[in-house]
Amino acid sequence: MSAVQTLDISPVGRVEGDLDVRVEIANGVVTNAWTQAELFRGFEVILRDKDPQAGLVVTPRACGICGASHLTCAAWALDTAWQTEVPRNAILARNLGQIVESLQSQPRYFYGLYAIDLTNKKYRGSPFYDEACRRFAPFTGSSYERGVTISGKPVEIYALLGGQWPHSSYMVPGGVMCAPTLTDITRAWAILEYFKVNWLEPVWLGCTLERYEQIRSHEDFLAWLDESPRHADSDLGFYWRMGLDIGLHRYGGGVGKYVSWGYLPHEDKYQKPTIDGRNAAVIMKGGVYDGTRDTHVVMDQKFCRENLAHAWYDEGSADQHPFHRVTRPVAKNDSDFAGKYSWASAVSHADFGRLEAGPFARQLVAGGPHGEPWQHQDPLILDMYKTMGGASLHLRQIARMHETIKLYRQAERCLREFKLNDPWYIKPKERDGRGWGATEAIRGALCHWIEVKDGKIKNYQIIAPTTWNVGPRDGAQARGPIEEALIGAPIADASDPVEVGHVARSFDSCLVCTVHAHDARTGDELARFRIG
Amino acid sequence: MANLLWLQGGACSGNTMSFLNAEEPSACDLVTDFGINILWHPSLGLELGDNLQKLLRDCVSGAMPLDIFVFEGTVVNAPNGSGEWNRFAGRPMKQWVRELADAATYVVAIGDCATWGGIPAMAPNPSESQGLQFLKRQHGGFLGKDWKSRSGLPVINVPGCPAHPDWITQMVVAIATGRGADIGLDEFQRPKTFFQSFTQTGCTRNMHFAYKVSATEFGQRKGCLFYDLGCRGPMTHSPCNRILWNRVSSKTRAGMPCLGCTEPEFPFFDLAPGTVFKTQTVMGVPKDLPLGVDKKGYISLTAAAKNAAPPWAEQDLFVV
Repeated sequence: MSAVQTLDISPVGRVEGDLDVRVEIANGVVTNAWTQAELFRGFEVILRDKDPQAGLVVTPRACGICGASHLTCAAWALDTAWQTEVPRNAILARNLGQIVESLQSQPRYFYGLYAIDLTNKKYRGSPFYDEACRRFAPFTGSSYERGVTISGKPVEIYALLGGQWPHSSYMVPGGVMCAPTLTDITRAWAILEYFKVNWLEPVWLGCTLERYEQIRSHEDFLAWLDESPRHADSDLGFYWRMGLDIGLHRYGGGVGKYVSWGYLPHEDKYQKPTIDGRNAAVIMKGGVYDGTRDTHVVMDQKFCRENLAHAWYDEGSADQHPFHRVTRPVAKNDSDFAGKYSWASAVSHADFGRLEAGPFARQLVAGGPHGEPWQHQDPLILDMYKTMGGASLHLRQIARMHETIKLYRQAERCLREFKLNDPWYIKPKERDGRGWGATEAIRGALCHWIEVKDGKIKNYQIIAPTTWNVGPRDGAQARGPIEEALIGAPIADASDPVEVGHVARSFDSCLVCTVHAHDARTGDELARFRIG
Repeated sequence: MANLLWLQGGACSGNTMSFLNAEEPSACDLVTDFGINILWHPSLGLELGDNLQKLLRDCVSGAMPLDIFVFEGTVVNAPNGSGEWNRFAGRPMKQWVRELADAATYVVAIGDCATWGGIPAMAPNPSESQGLQFLKRQHGGFLGKDWKSRSGLPVINVPGCPAHPDWITQMVVAIATGRGADIGLDEFQRPKTFFQSFTQTGCTRNMHFAYKVSATEFGQRKGCLFYDLGCRGPMTHSPCNRILWNRVSSKTRAGMPCLGCTEPEFPFFDLAPGTVFKTQTVMGVPKDLPLGVDKKGYISLTAAAKNAAPPWAEQDLFVV
């Protein structure tokens, strides 16, 4: 056995924000891993004692990638705190904004952040390599150029609703600021159609949405792949085949347990929003899937726990609910891999431990029998998970891109359901109280807690998808989901550890979102604020 | 061929996301048609770890010519001036910024964080953030007020939260096509071509502004957002209603009040209780008046306007 080699990678690019990774390698395989969040801004300090609506301005700007998702959470959190009534048009307009942001992210992430690694020289031996370079080479690849450019289209719909993407604040307690007219709706239809006929169908799928939607199992998928060269040669078909050829299905698994808050409140079921009423009101159901026992249960914010044993805080090693934390940072953020080494906390579920968040988690949850009978159910990815021997970075990608078609259909549905002469906003009464808002950002489970007291923000807290995924070890020394997913990754060339990049990027990590707030002069953390 | 390096400090990546929405030229066109060689970008670059650190060192030493250095996000100085709360490529980002800025021919600050400090620098500024050459309205910032790049220009400030993609790409094209010398800057080092007109210039609600017909609450298809909902369009320099967002609209057209995000004071009033989406008034007169208008002029103008307002101004006008 060869000696263990330690490799520090600073930074791992093409994740959002600053991620450092340390891996130990023995015999060309990762045997241990540590992920480090390396950036602080100070958002909580800014929000404390501010106007109750300050989160609508500040939190979309905490993350330029998932701003609509933050705005969604911020608005619903205030709605539950202020006990507002939200008209159905406004629910649809919020959902549509959230959906088109996610649609934007699909080609942008797949080509811009993920697929260009398939042009790495490591894969020169693959029969798919030359074609991968032709399609996925940065800036000049045929699919890269088309996909990255067209990724700006869906958010044109966001601009019709909110004036611009990123960083609008058009969702407000009681509804939305806009009142779209017929031409806004018809333009939105035309933009969606453009996205479909110029990329989604011809480039990504090689078939119609209707044909793709018939795929309900792994076997169906393989039959689809064989059915036509157009399917096999589409970017989806090509990626599937190349991924298996270069072994992406053999590593990158992770913790094997998954979480989703659910998303897209139904326009007729959540007009009087409450924290407890949300689970039964969302079209895309939430839940926890335990892959080790093949069980699905519903998720609730009260199960959230955080652990600071290996994060740069001095708060003991016991798990705490976010509401109960008294945050004390360590004075100096030196990296001690046996001790503290990240600003991210370790987030877990009280019963299930560490959970992976993200589109893969959503699809595994969507396959479950739990929830309301009318809620969306989709067995495909769960079937692949079982027939392909569990999680891998290959399946994580497939799950993410599979969701595109469903998001597209939900966008169409919003456009059909708007009633142009009905209200978009019901002015609420401002009051004190506690609220909670959640959604699924494209990269996973996101939620905001707010406490309003004496007409200003007393406390504002966020748990972001990347907080779930990139967190360090917890009090029981269990690795975080990305740390765990790195174990077993083969490293062909330690001077160019592309495999580490693959795994980290398969989670679409967002480090700009994993933020705590400190007072630089005293070193005291004034409160806690994490964004994703 | 011009080499471009883009880094992010205390950033949300919003300006990058906005940049990727560009269409004429698109991000890909900049590379294929305008000869911009993107050496590295946090969301686009191929290299990682040691290979990137070598590239950065080559830029600093001059072994790799650095024509355009774009910085997004604040310069984080915390804790205690060390910058350790924003480490990048093995050391505090602020150390890279200083060395790369000195090596670059042009330095472009993109977005409010890099220009004035933006939201992270809001009081009490816990991350000790600065913009490259300003902190809010105060000249100086991280690099100092007399700092100039090798081109002789100070930092080119392209503010906005985020900046519009065209504001970014057109500046890059100007530099790449030899028009760097034509980039005229205002007192806040913003390119005049974008930032001399007002956000209100071209707003579809201008007729309602003129007749003082107010949108008193959200979700309406008529009315000006200035009088009640806190819109800063008449006091803010930006081309948001000349060069539309995402090619289709702007915040004020869609019904969202302008937050004044291209000005150094953004976010205004530090988002204190009662200031968000509400016009601040004294005796019924807005505290902040349209730029250059005095209180007496405003009162006589709006009184006359209200008297002259036609009936249609109170009906749905599809201003959105």
